[in-house]
Amino acid sequence: MSSGSTLTEIVINGISRGAVYALIALGYTMVYGVLGMINFAHGEVFMIGMFACVYAMGVFSVAWGDHVALNLGLGIVVAMIFSAGYGYANERIAYRRLRKAHVLAPLTSAIGISTFLQYFIFLTVSKEKVNFPRYYSDWLTSHGIHFAGVQVTYLQLAILGLSLVIMGALYFLINHTRLGIALRATAQDQLMASLVGIPVDKIIAFTFILGSGLAAIAGVMVAMNNNVLVFDAGYRVGLKAFTAAILGGIGNIPGAVLGAMILGLTEAMTTWGFGSQWDDVTTFAMLMLVLLLRPRGLLGERVADKV
Amino acid sequence: MVLRVDPAGASDLDKGVRKLSLFVSLAVVLVIGAALAGCQKGSDTIKIGLAAVQSGSDAQIGATMLDGSQIAIDEWNAKGGVLGKQIETISLDDEANPQKANTVAHNLVDDGVVAVIGHLNSNCTIPASIVYNDAKVLQITPGSTNPKYTEQGFPYAFRICGRDDQQGPVAGKYLHDVLKLNKIAILHNKTAYGEGLATEVKKTFESLGGQVTMFQGIGVDENDFGANISVIQGSGAEGFFWGGMYGQGGPLCVKMRQAGVNIPFVSGDGCFAQPFIDTVGGTAPNVFLSFGKDYHQNPNAAAFIKSYNDKYHQDIGAYSVYGYDAANVLLTAIQQAGTTDPDKVAAVMKSQPFDTILGKVEFDTKGDVKGSGFVMWTIKDGKLQVLPDSP
Repeated sequence: MSSGSTLTEIVINGISRGAVYALIALGYTMVYGVLGMINFAHGEVFMIGMFACVYAMGVFSVAWGDHVALNLGLGIVVAMIFSAGYGYANERIAYRRLRKAHVLAPLTSAIGISTFLQYFIFLTVSKEKVNFPRYYSDWLTSHGIHFAGVQVTYLQLAILGLSLVIMGALYFLINHTRLGIALRATAQDQLMASLVGIPVDKIIAFTFILGSGLAAIAGVMVAMNNNVLVFDAGYRVGLKAFTAAILGGIGNIPGAVLGAMILGLTEAMTTWGFGSQWDDVTTFAMLMLVLLLRPRGLLGERVADKV
Repeated sequence: MVLRVDPAGASDLDKGVRKLSLFVSLAVVLVIGAALAGCQKGSDTIKIGLAAVQSGSDAQIGATMLDGSQIAIDEWNAKGGVLGKQIETISLDDEANPQKANTVAHNLVDDGVVAVIGHLNSNCTIPASIVYNDAKVLQITPGSTNPKYTEQGFPYAFRICGRDDQQGPVAGKYLHDVLKLNKIAILHNKTAYGEGLATEVKKTFESLGGQVTMFQGIGVDENDFGANISVIQGSGAEGFFWGGMYGQGGPLCVKMRQAGVNIPFVSGDGCFAQPFIDTVGGTAPNVFLSFGKDYHQNPNAAAFIKSYNDKYHQDIGAYSVYGYDAANVLLTAIQQAGTTDPDKVAAVMKSQPFDTILGKVEFDTKGDVKGSGFVMWTIKDGKLQVLPDSP
């Protein structure tokens, strides 16, 4: 195989990895955009999505047999419901009462929830890695289209397509709907928003539910791509997605996707050029460089911080 | 003269008294605790620490290893214990985490163990060995293969399995001489075990005239190998070596096959586990693992496997026999030394051969087993079997 097609493969790998980061980074960036806080438990919500999907598919295949598309589709729906439930519960239990507290209080609470959820799944669901049922993912991971001499699997296409579609939908939702106006109003000033009749609590809860649902989709995609799910899967991916959100300008929807793509490509190119042991070095060196040159991230706006 | 005490001052005084009483009660608790600990030391049991990873990705290998030691200790207890005393085990989980291993080691030392069987992961065994050595506690690892462990010159450190500088050459030779490959790619998990073993394989393969086209590391919590596989494929490698554990090795092998990379997948004892076979499939072709000799011919093996299955109802795992043998060697040495004094027990261990399921085990002055042999295994009919053409 020539090095040219290796490079193409690396780029495709980088983009699909970036698309996964993007789906998670959107959740970080939305919560930050509305509340001005970093939801560190977002990675765990992603991990819970993985497990919910696999266990739901197990139940379905016992209930009515192995229909690949039906069970997988319903599995994703169940994963989204579960993750959204956990996301909502996090907001309701760990963050709502701390909304007016010092900025460190919800941050600490988020880190606590993150650790709690990790070890909750560890102790109650599985202490070891669980294999994703390849019966459901084999077709998606071994078939695909041929592009520039290399194969792009249907799963990689699905991941990329989903992240772009969802980014577009979110952008539309926020900028062109009544709900979006309410979201933006809540982000600008919660008190004023409530005075004009916007149900601030519901809007914030909605943000968490939406972001968590997206994380669940990312979780299922990653589980299919890597063939494996584990209780601490959300930690590393969550950290990377968070980095991507910062890189693109936290609070900015297209910025999260851009940052995630850059991050995914950087990692893949590093693996190709220097070896994967340098992944973290190049990733965070680039983050520092971007922040030095553009402290608000690539697409972040120069506005006075409201906090 | 002040007749009336200022209320603020009174409350400060009150606080002070409360603080003092808190300190006193804490001190009392500590003293009682220490007294109880002291009492335990003089009690009628001999304490042995069992330490290894028992949760997370490597749990299966670590937990089954300690199960083996527990069976041996139960057998000794049923026969009346050692030195006329019952053996008490304290089993702790190091989570394959070096910091946690250090804490576990300190806890075991504080609990007054005379010896520790463990740990599994080399990056846990090595830092823990420093704690045990300082406290003069005997340590015998059934499964850590990194050479550094016994190269530290610790008089109380023993290892009943082989070393990576014996294991790596066997895998390297197999890749070059038997599979007749000239170019291989190597990926490791950046740990003392994974990188150490991968480096040994690289050395051997290159000394035989082969070329290592890729030598990379990846974090133990990374599960996306897509980019690595593209690089492996692009490097023109005819074979692949994974220096790491089964938790990543299994999904990596599956992912390689899905990507159409069907070159030989070679790894070491870290992948020698039932979950690895469950992940890659019982008929996976072109998978080769280096591990110790097949002990199933030894007549004692059947009895051990039976008592293991009766007690735990699961696969015996790669290192349970090693755990069993380690406990037996240790207890035999204590019995013969007639004391738990670590210097005397260590002297007995180094002075004579022991009969075990693994055959005759004899330690050299460093605490390594003399002439431990690695052989190559492959997956056949859902099981791991020794290859007839193993070097």
